[in-house]
Amino acid sequence: MKTTDRGILSNYDLKKPGNKIVYYLMTLIVLVMVCSMLYPMIIIFFNGVKLNTEVNSFPPTFLPSEWHFENYHKAWIYIKLPLFVRNTLYIFAGNMAMTILVVGFAAFSLSKMNVPYKKVIQYFFLLTLFIPPTTYIIPNFINLRDLGLMNTFWALWLPAGANAFYLLLLKSFFDGINIEMFESGRIDGASEPRLFFQIAFPLSIPIFATLAIFVFSTAWNDWYWPQLILSSDQRYPLATAIYKYVVNVRRLDLNLKFAILSMITFPPVLVFLFFQKYIVRGLHLGGVKG
Amino acid sequence: MNQTSAVPIRPLESQTKRPPTKWKKHIWGYLFLLPAVAIFFTFLWMPIGKGIIFSFFHIDFVKGDSFVGWANYSKVFKDPEVTISVKNTLYYMGLGVVIGFWVPILFAIAISEMRRFQGFARIAAYLPYVVPVVVLYSLWRWLYDPVGPINRVITKLGFDSVLFLTDKAWSMISIVFMETWQTFGSAMLIYLAAVLSIPRDWYEAAEIDGAGIWKRIRHITLPAIKNQIVLLFLLQLIATSQGFQTQYALLDGGPNNATLTYALLVQRYAFTRQDYGTASALGVLMFLVLGLLAVIQYRMSNKGEA
Repeated sequence: MKTTDRGILSNYDLKKPGNKIVYYLMTLIVLVMVCSMLYPMIIIFFNGVKLNTEVNSFPPTFLPSEWHFENYHKAWIYIKLPLFVRNTLYIFAGNMAMTILVVGFAAFSLSKMNVPYKKVIQYFFLLTLFIPPTTYIIPNFINLRDLGLMNTFWALWLPAGANAFYLLLLKSFFDGINIEMFESGRIDGASEPRLFFQIAFPLSIPIFATLAIFVFSTAWNDWYWPQLILSSDQRYPLATAIYKYVVNVRRLDLNLKFAILSMITFPPVLVFLFFQKYIVRGLHLGGVKG
Repeated sequence: MNQTSAVPIRPLESQTKRPPTKWKKHIWGYLFLLPAVAIFFTFLWMPIGKGIIFSFFHIDFVKGDSFVGWANYSKVFKDPEVTISVKNTLYYMGLGVVIGFWVPILFAIAISEMRRFQGFARIAAYLPYVVPVVVLYSLWRWLYDPVGPINRVITKLGFDSVLFLTDKAWSMISIVFMETWQTFGSAMLIYLAAVLSIPRDWYEAAEIDGAGIWKRIRHITLPAIKNQIVLLFLLQLIATSQGFQTQYALLDGGPNNATLTYALLVQRYAFTRQDYGTASALGVLMFLVLGLLAVIQYRMSNKGEA
């Protein structure tokens, strides 16, 4: 996205006083938007270091009158964050492995290998995009129960390989890789798995990085579905644990709540700031392909 | 589904073309596809198929399932809560359009015109999308509190404080407002990319022809991002028609069923009343309505690519 010397408005437009007002008004609106985005983010942190009485006081204060960093210590004792983070990372790692091995292999086969009935197989995958999750969320629950996968990570890992949207993204990326590379590899006697791991995969790092961000944010955010199929602290991902033990608990002091929330808010925000480029590109892909 | 009807057309043609020895050549291709086919079958197609079957059964995990015919469906059509939930869902979808849909378009155009701090505004808008939703539930409960910061501003301006979550008239609006705040950033980035890719000389030419700013936006910017607008509109409708998590987490469908959406009712049938059969029937009915929307969306998005 380059900055050019003009957009809808030209420099000449900006010299007219009427347009100038429009321009400043617009900037003001954006500024208000930015503040309304940042205020809640910052208040999570500030509320986390206030006294509980101050968080509950009216009128609400913005800056804490005293800084109580010991809230973080209490919060750390209240909830076993490392355990839940570990569970989340397990789920992420398993889901990512499934995405690479199951979805990646299938996309590679559809894109670069010569398989008869390719169209039919492709429909088999892509038609699932047309079916709303509401339709199969309940039968899916019963299905996992029948398969005996309740309260295991497999109940999250295995279905992670059934993602037609990722398949579509990967396939269209593989389609862009020159076929000659694989043909010369085949002539040199490389096996198909080797072609995948040594040519296709390294060349597709950008798309896999984007998918990793999607998969990570799902693992980090999803609280509802894991809560249905998992049932012990040894399995709960972070979001589910927070929902069960923080969001819906009335006895917990508000300042401690906010201290816990700020501890889990800032890691993803930092990750986002570092990997912004990939995330934005991923979004763009998602938007174009639907 | 349709995949069965598509199968018999091809085999004849390709079998006659390819001698059986070539079969070996394709073994790797099929081996690569096998895990995905198995997983898609087990965790997507099987539940989908089972859902249709379950909708004609009474599901009992202890005593076993029993066939009940159309009883689940007739229960659905008699239940007054279903009517309420359909109305609520339509209201929720409508509010999403009225309150939320135009916001990302407006900001995309505004930010694209900013001469400085464009990147900063972009990041700020997207930021809430990065924060786990569970955090936002807690946060917004506090923001919406009768003595919270938003009511502080309202009372300071001389209005009565608003019970954002517990007032029937406000609860759905509050939820849509929160979700708009949370998600408009991602839609905005898509619009922004489209707005920034419009050739600058179009504006130049329009300016020379004497078109004012509003005319340029109406006749150049908006038509140029029309595909994105239509696509995101349909995607939003599909997403909001199935929304239930915010309603469930913040209010559990209350106050007095004011935020009971259709998808939330499905969850309620299944996990509160343990009536999985009726929940499946509700799901099947959802499919009949939404499948149509999804097909339209697919048509549109294919057109957008070409």
